[in-house]
Amino acid sequence: MNVAQVLNGIALGSLLMILSSGLAMIYGLRGVANFAHGALYMSGGYVAYTVANRVSFWLALVIAPLVLAVVGAALEIMLFRPLRNRSHIEVGLVTFGIAMIIERVVVLIWGERTLSVNPPPLLSGTTSFLGVDYPSYRLGIILIGALLAIGLVTWLNRSTIGLHIRAASQDIETASIMGVNVDRLSLVVVCLGAALAGLAGVLAAPYISLDPGMGGTFLITVLIIVIIGGIGSVGGAMVAGMGLGIVQAVTTVWSPAFSVLVPYLALAVVLLWRPMGLAGKRMS
Amino acid sequence: MSGTIHLERELATDVGQPPAQRERRLRGTVVGLGIGLAVLLLGLATPYVFTHTYTMSLLLEVVLLSMLALSVGFLARHLGMISLGHIAFFGGAAYAYGIAIMKWGWSPGAAFVSAIVIGTLIAVVMGVLVVRLTGMGFLMLTLALSQALYQLCIQTSMRPITGAHDGLLIVVDRDSRFFGLTPAEVMNPGLFWPLAWVALVLCALLLWVVGRSRFGTVLEGIRENEERMRFSGFGTFLPRLAAFVLSGFVASVGGALFAVNAGYVSPELLGFGRAGDSLIAAIVGGLGSLVGPVIGTFLFVYAQATFNLGGNLPLLMGISLVLVLAFLPGGITGTAGRLYRRFKPFVARRFGGSPTADKESR
Repeated sequence: MNVAQVLNGIALGSLLMILSSGLAMIYGLRGVANFAHGALYMSGGYVAYTVANRVSFWLALVIAPLVLAVVGAALEIMLFRPLRNRSHIEVGLVTFGIAMIIERVVVLIWGERTLSVNPPPLLSGTTSFLGVDYPSYRLGIILIGALLAIGLVTWLNRSTIGLHIRAASQDIETASIMGVNVDRLSLVVVCLGAALAGLAGVLAAPYISLDPGMGGTFLITVLIIVIIGGIGSVGGAMVAGMGLGIVQAVTTVWSPAFSVLVPYLALAVVLLWRPMGLAGKRMS
Repeated sequence: MSGTIHLERELATDVGQPPAQRERRLRGTVVGLGIGLAVLLLGLATPYVFTHTYTMSLLLEVVLLSMLALSVGFLARHLGMISLGHIAFFGGAAYAYGIAIMKWGWSPGAAFVSAIVIGTLIAVVMGVLVVRLTGMGFLMLTLALSQALYQLCIQTSMRPITGAHDGLLIVVDRDSRFFGLTPAEVMNPGLFWPLAWVALVLCALLLWVVGRSRFGTVLEGIRENEERMRFSGFGTFLPRLAAFVLSGFVASVGGALFAVNAGYVSPELLGFGRAGDSLIAAIVGGLGSLVGPVIGTFLFVYAQATFNLGGNLPLLMGISLVLVLAFLPGGITGTAGRLYRRFKPFVARRFGGSPTADKESR
């Protein structure tokens, strides 16, 4: 096991971490497994393609999450809010339909070819790190992921809104009785979750090229991560995401078959042994 | 007085229904079976009505995929559980048929039976793991397990057994016969139709009868309130598992027949795409009724044949799913049933006649 493989794992884990924290927030607050999260991630990547190739990558890093936040707002207002009294599975299935719509619209706009985005000049090439020449861009992903994780966790634990989010994720009725405006909070959470998905898409674009199937590829893995991490726990999803990324990247060298099955085995083990997830406090 | 005691004893020992109602239900089942037999015989005439091979091949596809949709629908209707895992039994049985013919050298008949057995065994294994969960956990784990099987199948290390991404081409001995059909005839949709149609109708009737039986009532009790069922003395694990395996059996039959007819199995028979398509078809058709999934599958195959040239089928399916879930709960059959019930009093009043006794819904 050499340093490059572990770093690959951490880079992949960072991407998964960003994706899954957004999903975990939406799942925790609305109780909805957002099957459209993969499609949102994909949209972020494709938007980044357009912006990065016209203007600059750094601008894409700002614009794509904003665009996705708007999409998230639309989802919240037109879908999650009217359907808030339906069962969670029904709303989940609706997001499944939305995912198919979004993925098709993206292909209609950008085409079916595989597209690639070049990393920004600052981050291209390799850097000598811990004794190996490692692609600078992936180091950038790791850095951004770490900053984001620290920022998100700090914000959730220190700010007032973060307190409201944690309260509403734990018990939405009591929180609203205590005076938390759950609908407005939900808007914030869904926008943020969607923006995070878009950000992951932007970051992934130079790393993994863009193709119409990229949403589906990660969707199942990310859903599994959120369930393993624990429903309503963003920290748990982050830890699970990083852990899974590292395990997958490291095992892929000696057994590709096993490394692909790792998420499924992990999910089976967790659901059978500890259904509320590793860090979750609420039964689904 | 002794008559009253007799009645009470009967109620205490037999769940739910007083004798008169049970007799009515039995009569309903017999009538239903009669209708099913008529449908079976009528359907056999289809190849003579639609002589165009393309139309027949589409109808055959509807029939085969309907078995997958039926199995998902049965579980959803009676247990209230949505499964994305039944594709593992459909595709698994298809692959088992291919492997039995190509790698073990069995005859088509033996391979067909073993395919159904293997598919049902996969259902048992998955069922044991999955059936204790409900709702989202159940959905996710069935999805994860079926996709694990898919991933296992496409690994390059599995190429000698499953052919990995290329799939398996099934070449059958020229002298062998499958239910009297030669290898060439088996691929002809018009000639294969009787086998598939009979299988579909029999499976549908099986699921219908089981649904109306005491076992079906137990399942619905579990669906409504599992804890109360347990407090009343019913074990809930075995009935759930039995329902799961039964639906898995139906899916396996569909998959095995699919492999026999197509002569080729590919990994997409196990994939998420097909599982999702089948679930959407069942939902749009209507999960609340027996024929809902079949209707949904019919629409799906028809739409696929008409719209897929533009590649816009997923868009259409997504929109249909969202519309049905948001505005038309119960799908097509559910909405039709509601409309019928809404207008029945008007029709009855208009045409006179005595109000009919309140029939149990489906």
